[in-house]
Amino acid sequence: MRAYGDESVAAAAIASGARVLSRSLKYHRPRTFFCLEGHCSGCLVRLGGVPNLRACQSPCTAGAEVEGQNAFPSAEVDLLGAVDFLFSRGLDHHTLMTGSSVLNRLANKVVRQLSGLGKLPAKAADRLPDVISEDIDVCVIGGGPSGLAAAAACARAGKSVLLVDDQLRPGGSLRADPRQGRVAADAAIASCNSAGVRVLDRATAIGFFPEDDGGVLAVAAPEQLHRVKARAWIWATGGYPVNLPFADNDRPGVIAARAVGRLLVDHGIVGGDKVCVVEVPEMIDDAEALAQALAAAGTDVVRVALSAALGARGRSWVTAVDTTHGRVDCDLVAVAAIPSPASEGPRQQGCKVVLDPARGGFRVVVDEHGRTSTEGVWACGDVTGYLGPARSAEDGARVGANVAGSV
Amino acid sequence: MARKIVLCRCEDVTLADLEHCVSRGYADIEEVKRYTGFGTGPCQGKECLAPMAAQLARLTHVAPEQIRPFTSRPPLAPTPIKILAQAPDAHRFDDDEGRDPPT
Repeated sequence: MRAYGDESVAAAAIASGARVLSRSLKYHRPRTFFCLEGHCSGCLVRLGGVPNLRACQSPCTAGAEVEGQNAFPSAEVDLLGAVDFLFSRGLDHHTLMTGSSVLNRLANKVVRQLSGLGKLPAKAADRLPDVISEDIDVCVIGGGPSGLAAAAACARAGKSVLLVDDQLRPGGSLRADPRQGRVAADAAIASCNSAGVRVLDRATAIGFFPEDDGGVLAVAAPEQLHRVKARAWIWATGGYPVNLPFADNDRPGVIAARAVGRLLVDHGIVGGDKVCVVEVPEMIDDAEALAQALAAAGTDVVRVALSAALGARGRSWVTAVDTTHGRVDCDLVAVAAIPSPASEGPRQQGCKVVLDPARGGFRVVVDEHGRTSTEGVWACGDVTGYLGPARSAEDGARVGANVAGSV
Repeated sequence: MARKIVLCRCEDVTLADLEHCVSRGYADIEEVKRYTGFGTGPCQGKECLAPMAAQLARLTHVAPEQIRPFTSRPPLAPTPIKILAQAPDAHRFDDDEGRDPPT
């Protein structure tokens, strides 16, 4: 497989025509890329002898060995896929073969062989990651449009600011939106750098521990653990791409519209020759922008409302979408659902959230200044309910200035 | 392949599974999580929590704002155990002395 030096394994694999990467846990249905943001389970691979790594967040290295997982004999042809036919109406593991204790023991043995995720690493870690303590004025979690703007605003006001971003490169949804793109992402990063923000990339906030030293955020980088203490926290984690409910919505080739945009805008990869966009009314502007950019790149685009989408067709890759107006042939389906607010971090800090389906899911509740229900904890951008990249950037700048004025 | 509407791709939980679960009386989001296993895979609910909650509101005729998310616990993302190995509060086992029970 050929790749650019700074490319992810996923981007290189897609550009090289890779399709099915693994099989699902229970029914062994084919699985592959979906979000390309490191948040779904679609692209887990074994890389250099280490299992369960996300191909979309792993940089390519020369000679690296990439293997699929969870399938026999291979991810493309998996005999265990028979489970999907045998239990076509579903499989309730609570009552599966519980009638006889002998059968039950046998069933448990078989199920343990079939399920599970990957195989153990080939060897122990060469070195153990260092632990680094950070003590700063403001910690911003998330390096998308709102986080970059908030961090820059705080740093310009003279605060010490640490920004943690879990992607290969910061920029978030800017890198997936044809109206914004790499230039906008690089400009936002440059203004953070010139304001003096310290940016940790490939760094994931993995948990908040209120009982440690008055509250510590644990941040995992590839080779370090950062224990972060801050006077103010700004959650700018955005939203996760989600799927929409239509039959066989998990078929490989059904991927998030934002992932299709990311491939095009950030990687210069046209994901398909004929793309069917399945969308909800709230995402009509985003879907329109993506459709125009795909058309400009030479792709045929058909837009279908979720209410008219009956189901995906195809076996190991999508070939068509059945709609109430007939069949739409395609080689890629872009799902334009409202991104779901990434609010589980704020929830660990006790912030109030509310389920708001029209804004994507459990959004963090904030006042007009960006304050959450927890003292010293703020939020901006899509994590407070879907805004989109342009309005998220404005929100971040505004909330960042408010935080700087209060610390 | 059988036609399925998949709500949680990590754990293969379908809309039919959710309907079955609700019909058995497990209609609170924590109960649904425990019965179906949704939200317990590598994504830890990032992709499935909101769609599942929206479907649950529809099936049970509960107003969305009445539905709470399931409890968020560390780690928020899949984390190699080695990351925690040198943390100051990490509990160490000494192979020569046998294993202490975790405190």
